[in-house]
Amino acid sequence: MAHLNLWEQLLYYYQHNGVYVLSQFSRHFLISVYGVLIAAIVGIPIGIFIAHHGKLSGAVIGIANVIQTIPSLAMLSIIMIGLGLGVNTVIVTVFLYALLPIIKNTDTGMRNVNPSLLDAGKGMGMTRLQLLRLVELPLSMSVIMAGLRNALVLAIGITAIGTFVGAGGLGDIIIRGTNATNGSAIILAGALPTALMAIILDVALAWVEKKVDPTA
Amino acid sequence: MKHIKRWLLMLGFSLVSVIGLAGCGFPGLSGSSSDTIRIASQNTTEQQIMAYMLQDMIQHDSKLHTTIINNLGSGTVSFNALKNNQADISSIRFVGTDLTTIMGENVDRNRTRATNHVRETFDKKYHMTYFPSYGFADTYVWMVTQQTAKKYNLNTVSDMKKQASKMSVGIDQIWLNRKGDGYDGFKQAYGFAFGQVHPMQIGLVYDAVAAGKMDAVLGYSTDGRINSYHLKLLKDNKQYFPPYDASAVATNKVLKKHPELKPIIAKLNGKISLKTMQTLNYKVDNDLMEPEVVAKQYLEQHNYFEGSDD
Repeated sequence: MAHLNLWEQLLYYYQHNGVYVLSQFSRHFLISVYGVLIAAIVGIPIGIFIAHHGKLSGAVIGIANVIQTIPSLAMLSIIMIGLGLGVNTVIVTVFLYALLPIIKNTDTGMRNVNPSLLDAGKGMGMTRLQLLRLVELPLSMSVIMAGLRNALVLAIGITAIGTFVGAGGLGDIIIRGTNATNGSAIILAGALPTALMAIILDVALAWVEKKVDPTA
Repeated sequence: MKHIKRWLLMLGFSLVSVIGLAGCGFPGLSGSSSDTIRIASQNTTEQQIMAYMLQDMIQHDSKLHTTIINNLGSGTVSFNALKNNQADISSIRFVGTDLTTIMGENVDRNRTRATNHVRETFDKKYHMTYFPSYGFADTYVWMVTQQTAKKYNLNTVSDMKKQASKMSVGIDQIWLNRKGDGYDGFKQAYGFAFGQVHPMQIGLVYDAVAAGKMDAVLGYSTDGRINSYHLKLLKDNKQYFPPYDASAVATNKVLKKHPELKPIIAKLNGKISLKTMQTLNYKVDNDLMEPEVVAKQYLEQHNYFEGSDD
């Protein structure tokens, strides 16, 4: 292989292992998405709740902040003690890291809704649920989406480390590249799709973010 | 009071949906549901090739789902994964290593006796089944470049004694502190120590010696790079390294739950020779092929060992 330059090696690698890379790519993607999805299911209601109960907000975001400061490798290892090796450990880790951006953005989005609009809603006889559904959520949707976008990009990076607990994903390819003779092409072969995934998702969600903003 | 109730309801709802999602075993991600065969593999090339081979065999011959728990750091980690029910099959285990590290006993250089002893203990004490060997043994070998061998006239390990104090050598990081067949035992058996010892990731030692950064390294005999770099293997003239026959190990629990597994794994018994393993390793380490691809190609060439049961 030494006669090929790095880019030719990369091309050769993709030609021979394309299916494998694709399967790891989708695995990587799914692990990240599941983690963020669960974080959204849990985090958005929490965010709405603390936005309505001002005193709680500081405490909850404080806790989420503390979680965020734990290094990801340490967090993976701590969760591994409880959940063991494999994919579930990584999903839970992603979930914990995704909580902060989601809760914080939901909270901020809800608080930034103009109070006079809420008063107008109340004046029209809206119930609390109607206010939430028809006024608050639509107006804060783009900020919530920005949180999801942050969380997902973060998640892709964390999933790459998940290879150390045996979860698979594109991190497997990167680690293997570090063990092989002339592995630079393999390292790139794993790192490029990881970066690409983050960039594509970021752009796609930025587009969605714009779409759901009713004021735009 | 009323709205607290509603919030509790909402919290309950989100909890239920999370558990529901996890309960379905996260669609698209094998390995998270309870009915999957989990194959533990270490971070070396041959471990991964054999893990994928087992996976392909099981998927070819049965309807079971499989997943690979990859990149485990050592044989002890992968053993614990089996013991703690985090994995069902270990892709490769070595009798020699398990005897000293897992069972904590002294090195036994009698192949048959060691194998039988380890097999029995694993069955009785750890409730795991040691399969017969795949057909290759992976043992530690001292290797040098042809130039070094010529310069100092090296053929056996003992030949290094004269130069040893001036030599810098690269070794597998787990070998350094190993009891029985580790560095301490080596110093006693051969009666010399090296000037500088550099523990490193095992995949790097071949490059290190070929590039002249190390005078000698301790590597695996199955590595394909021995041939590609034309390295000279030094004979273990004091027979210090015990036999490391490679076998699959599965928990008795999984074999009982899925009785069809045992004959499938047994199909690989004696099918992989040292030469084969070197070739397969070489394809991965040097020819930019993934272990998964190499394993599949090999099985397809041999028709998944169809019709050979032993």
